[in-house]
Amino acid sequence: MIRNYLMIALRNLTRNKAFSFIHITGLGIGLACCMLIFLYAKDEWTFDRFQAKADQLYRITCSIVEKDGKESRIGASAMVQGPAFKAAIPAVQDFVRVQESDHLIRIGAETYSEHVAWADANFFSVFSFPLKSGNAASVLGDQHSVVLAEDEAIKYFGTADPIGKIIELEFNDTFQPFTVSGIARRSPQNSTIRFGFVLPFSYREAKEPESTWDWLSYPTYLVLAPGTDPAAVTRQMNNHYQQVNSKQIAEMKSLGQGSFTWGLQAFPAMHLDPDMYATSHVSDPAYSYILSGIAIFILIIACINFINLTIAQSIRRSKEIGIRKVVGGQRKQLVFQFLGESVLLCAFAFVLALVIAVLALPTFNQLANKQLSLTYLADPLVIAGYILLFLVTAFVAGFYPALVLSGFDPVKTLYNRVSAGAGRNLLSRSLVVVQFSLSTFLIIATLFVYAQFDFLTHKPLGYNDHNLLQVTAHKDGDKQLMKLLKQEFSKLPGVLSVAPRMNGIWVTRSKANEKDVEVLIEHIDESYLATMEVPLVAGRNFSPDFPADSTRAVLVNESYVAAAGWKDPVGKKLRLNQDKDQLEVVGVVKDYHFASLKEKIMPQIFSQGPSMPFGQFMIRISPDDKARTLAGIGKVYNSLVPFRPFEYDYKQDLNFRDYESEQRWKSIISFAAVITIFISCIGLFGLATTSIRRRIKEIGVRKVLGASEFQISRLVSGNFLVLVLIAFLISVPLAWYAASSWLQGFAYQVQGYWWIFPVACAATVAVALLTVGSQAFSASRANPVKSLRTE
Amino acid sequence: MIKITNLEKVYRTEEVETIALNKLSLEVKQGEFVAVMGPSGCGKSTLLNILGLLDDADTGSFVFNGIEVVNFNERKRADLRKHNIGFVFQSFNLIDELTVFENVELPLIYTGVKASERKKKVDEVLNKVQIMHRRNHYPQQLSGGQQQRVAVARAVVNDPKLILADEPTGNLDSSNGNEVMQMLTELNEQGTTIVMVTHSEHDARYSHRIIRMLDGQTVLQNIMV
Repeated sequence: MIRNYLMIALRNLTRNKAFSFIHITGLGIGLACCMLIFLYAKDEWTFDRFQAKADQLYRITCSIVEKDGKESRIGASAMVQGPAFKAAIPAVQDFVRVQESDHLIRIGAETYSEHVAWADANFFSVFSFPLKSGNAASVLGDQHSVVLAEDEAIKYFGTADPIGKIIELEFNDTFQPFTVSGIARRSPQNSTIRFGFVLPFSYREAKEPESTWDWLSYPTYLVLAPGTDPAAVTRQMNNHYQQVNSKQIAEMKSLGQGSFTWGLQAFPAMHLDPDMYATSHVSDPAYSYILSGIAIFILIIACINFINLTIAQSIRRSKEIGIRKVVGGQRKQLVFQFLGESVLLCAFAFVLALVIAVLALPTFNQLANKQLSLTYLADPLVIAGYILLFLVTAFVAGFYPALVLSGFDPVKTLYNRVSAGAGRNLLSRSLVVVQFSLSTFLIIATLFVYAQFDFLTHKPLGYNDHNLLQVTAHKDGDKQLMKLLKQEFSKLPGVLSVAPRMNGIWVTRSKANEKDVEVLIEHIDESYLATMEVPLVAGRNFSPDFPADSTRAVLVNESYVAAAGWKDPVGKKLRLNQDKDQLEVVGVVKDYHFASLKEKIMPQIFSQGPSMPFGQFMIRISPDDKARTLAGIGKVYNSLVPFRPFEYDYKQDLNFRDYESEQRWKSIISFAAVITIFISCIGLFGLATTSIRRRIKEIGVRKVLGASEFQISRLVSGNFLVLVLIAFLISVPLAWYAASSWLQGFAYQVQGYWWIFPVACAATVAVALLTVGSQAFSASRANPVKSLRTE
Repeated sequence: MIKITNLEKVYRTEEVETIALNKLSLEVKQGEFVAVMGPSGCGKSTLLNILGLLDDADTGSFVFNGIEVVNFNERKRADLRKHNIGFVFQSFNLIDELTVFENVELPLIYTGVKASERKKKVDEVLNKVQIMHRRNHYPQQLSGGQQQRVAVARAVVNDPKLILADEPTGNLDSSNGNEVMQMLTELNEQGTTIVMVTHSEHDARYSHRIIRMLDGQTVLQNIMV
C-alpha cells in the first residue's frame, strides 16, 4: 500500500512540474529560514551554557538607585567585592575577576594595540576554557605570566613554540615583561568572555590597589556551592556591605548620591540582558523573537501555498479519490495517503532547505552578526528541532487538504460533479488574504525601516561631520604633549583647524537656578566650536583674552538653558557636582547631536577646567588630498608619541557606526519582505493558473458574446486584486502599530511618513497584477472556439 | 442477493427538489444478469450507486446477501464493497498516474492481499481480458476498448459476487462494445451477478431481465428468453 502511495505521489510530482516547483521551492525557502533562525535562537539561548560550572557561576551585579528614583544596573564590581564576599559568605566557594582593557604590547621591536583580559589566577580552573599547553591551576600563578589564545600565538610567533617567550605590555607609560606560560584554545563564539591575551589580575592589583566599593570596573564572578539559593547569598552580600561600609553609606546618603544594592546574575543569563551595563557581546532577546516571527511568517505563507494549491488542484485528483473509494479505500486510508504525500513533498523541500541553509549561512551570519558554523547542524538538539520542524510543517500543510480531498463523494467525483474552488471558496480566499497581509506588513515595515534609516543618516546634526577627523591621543593627562600636538597638527597643510577635547564622555550633576540638572561635560578649548562648526546662540566663546575663563566660565547648550529654566542665561551661575565654586555662563551653544539620534540631546556644559584632561583631537581637514594630510598627521603623532599606533576615525564613519544594528535590520527585513513576496506570488501564480483553467469555458463564452481582451483580463485579475486590497487594509493598522512601536526606540523619528502606505499598496498591487495579469492576458487572447471545444 | 423495498431518494437544492427514486422495490437473484434501462434522469444511475453502496437512500430497505445495509457506516460500506462488488463505468475511470497493472492491483491492495498473491491474480485477470501485453502502459496510452477491458479486469480481480456496470459500452465503438459485453456475459456464466445500466437495447439483450424505469420507478420488467 505504501509503495502504491509513494508511486502515485512521485508521479504526481513529476507530472505537475510547475506546482511541484511552487510547493518545494516555497516550503524549502520557508524551512530554510526556520532552520537558520532556529540555529540563531539556539545559539542565543544556550550562550555560555558550555561552561561546566554554568549552574554554579554568578556575576555580581550592582543596582544603583538615584535620588530621583532612576535605576541603573551594572554587571561589574570594584576590586574588593570578590575577596570580601568569599571571606564572609561560606556558600561562595570562589571568585574570579575579569577585566578587559586595551593595551599596547611590544614583541621584539614591534608594538601593537591589543585587547587583553586581566583575570584572577583561577580563571582557567573555574571557566571551561581548555589549555593547549600549560597547567590550568598554575598558568596565571606568576604576576608576570601571560596566556595566549592559539590564534594570537600563531599571529605573533608563527609555528615556533611561544612558551617562555616574552611579551611586553605597556602599563602606565612603561613596558613590562610578561612570559608566555600557556596557550589556550580559541574561546567559543557563544561565550561572553573571549580573549586573546590573559594576564594575571594580581599584577594589576599590586600596581594599582583599590579598596573602595564603588569603583565599578571589574566584572566579578562567584562560584557558589552546588544547590545554593542565590537569593540567600544576595541577602548575605548586602548585609555584609552594610556592615563594613556603614560610614561610607551614610556619607553617600547625606550627599544625595545613589544607593547601591548588590545582586547575583546567573552566568548564562548575562547574554540576553541588554539593560545591564558592562556585558560583552550582549544581545537583545527581542531579536530572537522578531527573527523567529519572520521565519514563521515565511513558513506559514509557504504552507498556505501548499494548502491552497492542493485544494485548487483537487479536481484533478478527484477521480482517483472516487476510484479508490469505489474499490474499497476508506477515508482514513486516503487521509493517510495524502498526508504521506505532503510528508514526501516536505522531505524534498527539507533537503532543498538544508542546501539553502548551508549556502545562505555566511550571508545570514553577516546579517545576524553571528559566527554560526555548519558543525552546529550536528548538534542533537538541532537535529531534533529540525525533525520536529519537518513533521509539523508536513502536518500543517497536509492535514487540511487531506481532510478535504478524502471527504469527496465518490459518486460526484466519478460523474464529474465535483466543484472545488480554485480561488473561489472562502477558505482559499481567506488564506490568500492572510498571505498578502503578511507580505504587505513586511513591505510596510521595510519602508519604515528605510525611511527611518535615511532620516538617521541624513538629518543635519547641528555640526558638520564631513572631513572631520577624530584622533585619539592617549596620554590624556599630559597637558604639554596635548599643547604640542595641537600646535604641530595646526601647522600641517590640509589641516583647517584643530580642537582638543576630553576622551570619552562624563555625565554628572549640576545645580542651576535651584534645580538639579544631569549634565554631560565637554572639556574643550576655544577652538572646539569653530572646528565642529557649531554656532553660538548667545554670549561669547571662550577666549584667551579672558584668562579667567579656564577656571570660572562655562558654555552651556540650549537644552541646559531649558532644563535650568533660564530666560536670559548669559551671566547666570551654576555649580558642578558638590563643588563650592560657582561657574558663570558666558555663552549658549546651539544644540547639536553629539550622540546618535537614538538619544535625546542632553544638557551640556563646556568647560576649559585646567584639572580636566584632554585625550582626543577633532581635526577639520581640507577635502583635497586627504591621504597626504592624514599621512602628515600620522607622522606628527608618531614623532611626538612614540610606540603608540596612530588611531583615527572620520566622524562621519563613527556616526554611521551608531546605526550598524539598524543597517543590519534594514537588510534582514528587506530579505524577509522579498522572500515573502516571492513565495506569495508563486502561490498566487499557481492559484491563478488553476482558476483560469477552471474558467476557460466561461472566458470562451464571454469572448463569443463580445467581451474584449481587456474586459476578460480585468475579470480574471479582478478577483485576486480584491483579495490583495483587503490584505492591504488588514495589514496597514498592524504594520503602523509595529512600526510606531519600533520608532519609539529612537529619540528622533522620521516624520511625514504617510507616503509609505500608498507606496506599499502600489507595490503589492503591482506585483500581484504582474503575477496574475500575464496569465489573465494570455487567457483573454486564447481562441474561444478552442476553449469551448476543450470543454 | 439484492432485495430493495420502497427505496426513496430525493435530491434537494435551494430551489428544486428532484425525486430520483420513488418507492422503488426490486429483487435481483444470485447469478442473474439484469439490465436497467430508461430515459436520462429516470434514476438508473442513482439506483446503481445505492446498490454499490456509494450513495444512501433516504428511506426504504436494502438487503444485500441477507443483511440490511441501509444504515451501514462508511467503514462497513467500504468493507462490504471491497469484498463483494466490482464496478465498470462508462468513462472507464482508471487512475491516470497508475499503470494498467497497478490500476488492476488497487482493489487487492485495499483488501490486504499479499504482494506475491496480487501479482499472480492481476496477471491472471489481465491474461483473461487479453491486455497482458499492455500491463506497464498508462491508461492514456490505451484505446477506449483497451481501457474498458482494464476497467473490467479491475472490477473482477477481487472475485466479486456482484458487478455493477454503468453504460459500460457508452464510450466504445460497436466492435469494442461487443467485446466488453461478451466479457460480462462470460463472467455471468461463471456465476457473477451483474446489474448493468444501459441505453442500448442491443446490450440489454445480453441480460436475463430488463428493468425499465421512469421517474424513479420501475415501469416494466422484460424477461429475456
